[in-house]
Amino acid sequence: MPNILLVEDDEIMLKAIKSILVKEGYKVFTAKDGKEAFELISKVSFGILITDLMLPHTSGLEVVSKMRDQESTKNIGIIVVSAVGNQETITEAYQLGADEYLKKPIIATTLLLTIRKLINDKNIKIVH
Amino acid sequence: MWNDLFYLFLQAYEQFSSLPLSIEIALLFIFIAVVITLTSYCSILFRRYNAYVYRKRLAYITPIIEDMITEQVLLNENLGKGLPVEDIEFDQVAITDKIYKTPGVRQVVIDIIIRYRKNFRGEIGDLLRKLYIDMHLVEDSFKKLRRHTWEMKIKAITELQQMDISIADSTLLPLTNSNIQTLRAVSRNAYIQLSKNDPFKFFDIATEPILPWDQLDLFKIITTSKELSIPSFSRWVSYSTNKSVVSFCLKLIVYYDQQNAIPAVMELLNTKDHFFRANAINCLGKLSSEIPEETLVKIYGTQPLNCQVQILKALGRIGSGNYLEFLKQEFLNAKDFDIQINSARSIIRHNTHQSRLMIQELMLISTEEQQLIIKHCQNPLIKY
Repeated sequence: MPNILLVEDDEIMLKAIKSILVKEGYKVFTAKDGKEAFELISKVSFGILITDLMLPHTSGLEVVSKMRDQESTKNIGIIVVSAVGNQETITEAYQLGADEYLKKPIIATTLLLTIRKLINDKNIKIVH
Repeated sequence: MWNDLFYLFLQAYEQFSSLPLSIEIALLFIFIAVVITLTSYCSILFRRYNAYVYRKRLAYITPIIEDMITEQVLLNENLGKGLPVEDIEFDQVAITDKIYKTPGVRQVVIDIIIRYRKNFRGEIGDLLRKLYIDMHLVEDSFKKLRRHTWEMKIKAITELQQMDISIADSTLLPLTNSNIQTLRAVSRNAYIQLSKNDPFKFFDIATEPILPWDQLDLFKIITTSKELSIPSFSRWVSYSTNKSVVSFCLKLIVYYDQQNAIPAVMELLNTKDHFFRANAINCLGKLSSEIPEETLVKIYGTQPLNCQVQILKALGRIGSGNYLEFLKQEFLNAKDFDIQINSARSIIRHNTHQSRLMIQELMLISTEEQQLIIKHCQNPLIKY
């Protein structure tokens, strides 16, 4: 299973998604904002990034954009999970490099299927 | 001891009464000010202490509730097995723990379940709803709905709406017409979402206005609720005596392109309120039907400026070409700038060979100022 980085400022949502992913066997690292996420990325290698858009200090879109710009993270699978549902933001997220966009409220099985699909499509390496 | 105290008080009073009146008044004011200041400080301290205790309790109880929800809902082993959510059972020992008997804790559970439900739908969302029902929290919400304070009623309605729990018409319908604006708006939103049979019934009894901001909210709910059966809004245009309901229905008629409402909307052209009439004309224009065109042109001369402007706009939106000559004459002969600019815009909006020829002709025969107006209207970046 690849490492997953979950960036979410809502503590309840962070715990909830983490518990669902851990139940499925993924190793999950969490960050509450973009700054924490970048610190983690410099230390650990991730296969999947799940990020909210509304984050303190750095927006989720900036996180996505930075991930795609950096050599070490440009190939990771990026899923944006957000309550923002306007077409402009969704398009912008895809243009910046998001692979998938899930609108809150999310369906847990959809999130899991999306992760599996990204692992297969991107041929993400499994970390033991 | 009491005698000493009484004697002391008596002495103080005697001294006080022997003072000049101005000093007595000043002392009285000082005394009152000191008492008020002390009471205020005590009240602030008491409130702060209560808030501190509440935060402490919350910090202790929240992780316990979150763990319970995670275990019972998010990590429920029956999830994803294709079992109907109604058949999934919770661990009764866990959800009936005595910790969940206190009203304060039950409220925290409701708040947390709602936060989860805002983030999850599908099986998890349904299971959260089942947990809310199985823990009998739904009864807590209904109890709040029966309370007299409107803040409590709003809280209850919001909870029940979030949990998709039906509320009896006899309870909710009167609240949609409450004289408290916030309660009215929340109840109307909930009524539309929760009433399965006739979600717009409250239009029938609405005597209080639907304020513009509430209209925005309602409009969003109506247009984004997938399972809502949309009625013909002409019903309220014809019969409602509440002007805000009729205005709102006009917007919905346009949104749902209800062409069958045209006769009902045309009836509004006889209304005495010219702002209201302008709304009706605007609606007719946006429906882009040729049916009202003739009537609109017929009444044009007797209308105030705002209605005339709406008629000109409507002719442009309908764009049949039948009244291009009328628009041209208005453009050339009107003295009012609004009439001129809207006539020109409507001619351009037709965007037919005939209208383009007319614009070319107008550019030749009109004054310099009128030519500027036409050029301005031809700019595609300026919204019409």
